[in-house]
Amino acid sequence: MRRLTPEELSARNKRNLAIAGALVAFIVLVFAVTVLNLKRNIDARADAIAAGQPVEYAR
Amino acid sequence: MTETAPPPAISMAQPDDFFQLLKPRVMSLVIFTAVTGLVVAGGELDWLSAAIAILCIAVGAGAAGALNMALEGETDALMRRTRGRPVAAGRVNKNDAMTFGVILSIFSVMLLGMTANWLAGGLLLMTILYYAVFYTLLLKRRTPQNIVIGGAAGAFPPVIGWAAATGQAPWQAWLLFAIIFLWTPPHSWALALYSAGDYARAGIPMMPVARGAKSTRLQILIYSLVFVPVAVAPGLLGLGGVLYLAVSGIGGLGFLFLAVRLWRSRAGDQPDKAEAVGREAALYDVRAEAKPARNLFAFSILYLMALFAALLVESLTTLPGL
Repeated sequence: MRRLTPEELSARNKRNLAIAGALVAFIVLVFAVTVLNLKRNIDARADAIAAGQPVEYAR
Repeated sequence: MTETAPPPAISMAQPDDFFQLLKPRVMSLVIFTAVTGLVVAGGELDWLSAAIAILCIAVGAGAAGALNMALEGETDALMRRTRGRPVAAGRVNKNDAMTFGVILSIFSVMLLGMTANWLAGGLLLMTILYYAVFYTLLLKRRTPQNIVIGGAAGAFPPVIGWAAATGQAPWQAWLLFAIIFLWTPPHSWALALYSAGDYARAGIPMMPVARGAKSTRLQILIYSLVFVPVAVAPGLLGLGGVLYLAVSGIGGLGFLFLAVRLWRSRAGDQPDKAEAVGREAALYDVRAEAKPARNLFAFSILYLMALFAALLVESLTTLPGL
C-alpha cells in the first residue's frame, strides 16, 4: 500500500473537519429541539392546570 | 516516454463538492418558497423552531438533489449543463453521493418531525422519495411528461412549510403547490427548447426531443394559459392582498405575452447554438430564433420569485390597505 500524497491527505483532512462540524451542528440542533419540546410541554401542562383540567403528574 | 500520475489512492473530493451535491441554487428556491408557506400560514411556531424547520426542508431538498446526482452521474456527464457536477465529473464517488443523500434524508426528516410535526416530516420524506425514486428512476427516461409529473417534487416545499407551522395542509397550501406545479412545464420546456441537443444525446425524452419544437411551443402556451389564472387566484381568494394581485396580474400578462411570442416563433427548430459552433453552452447565449424561449425561461424565474416575495411581504407587513 503506497503512502498518501500531501494532496490526498489534505483532501481527507478537510473532509474530516467538515464531517466533524456537521456532527457538532447536528448535536446542537437535536439538543435545541429537545429543550424546545420540553418547554412546549411544560407550558402546555401549566396552561392545562390553570384551566382546571386534570393533568397527570400535576402534583 | 511520458509518465502518467498514478490514480489517487483515496477520494480527492473536497467539502465544497459535497455542498454542490445539494444543488444550492435549487435549494435557495426551496428555502424561499418554504419560508413563504411557513410565514403565510401563521401558526404558533417559535422563531427558533421555524428556523430549524426551514433548515430541515432545505437539507431534505439537498439530499434529494444528491440522490439524483448519484443516480444520474452517467447521464449528467453527457450534457453540457450538468457535466461539471461532482459525480459526473468524477470528483465524488457515486456510492459516496448516495450515502450522503440517504444520511441527510434520514436526519432531515427525523429532525423536522421532532421540531415541528410528523405531517411536515412525512411530506418531506414523500418529496425526497418522489424526486429521487419516482421522478429520477421511473419517470425521467420513460415519458415526455416527465417534467409535468415530476414537477410536483419542486412544488411541495410551501406545503411542507405550511404544515410545519400549523400541523395542517389546507387548500391554501395546495394553491401554492399548484402555482409551482403549473409553472414548471413552461419554465422547463422553454429551457429545453434551446438545449434539446443535450437531452437527445443523453437519451432523455424531453418534450422538444420527443414531440418536436412546434408541439412544445404550443404546450408551453397552453400551460401558460392555465398557469397565469392560478397564479392570480391567491389575490382573488384572500390569500394575497392588493400587492399580490398587482404583481401576479401585471407579471401574468408579461408571462402570457412572452408565451404567445414564443408560440409564434421558430425557437427550437434549429439545433442549439452551442452545439452548432461546438463549444460550451452559456445558459443565456442562444440563437436569435431561440431568444423568445430564453426570455420566457428567464422571466419565469423572476415571476415565480415575485409571486412568493409579494405573499411574503404582505404576511410580514400588517400595513392596512396593502
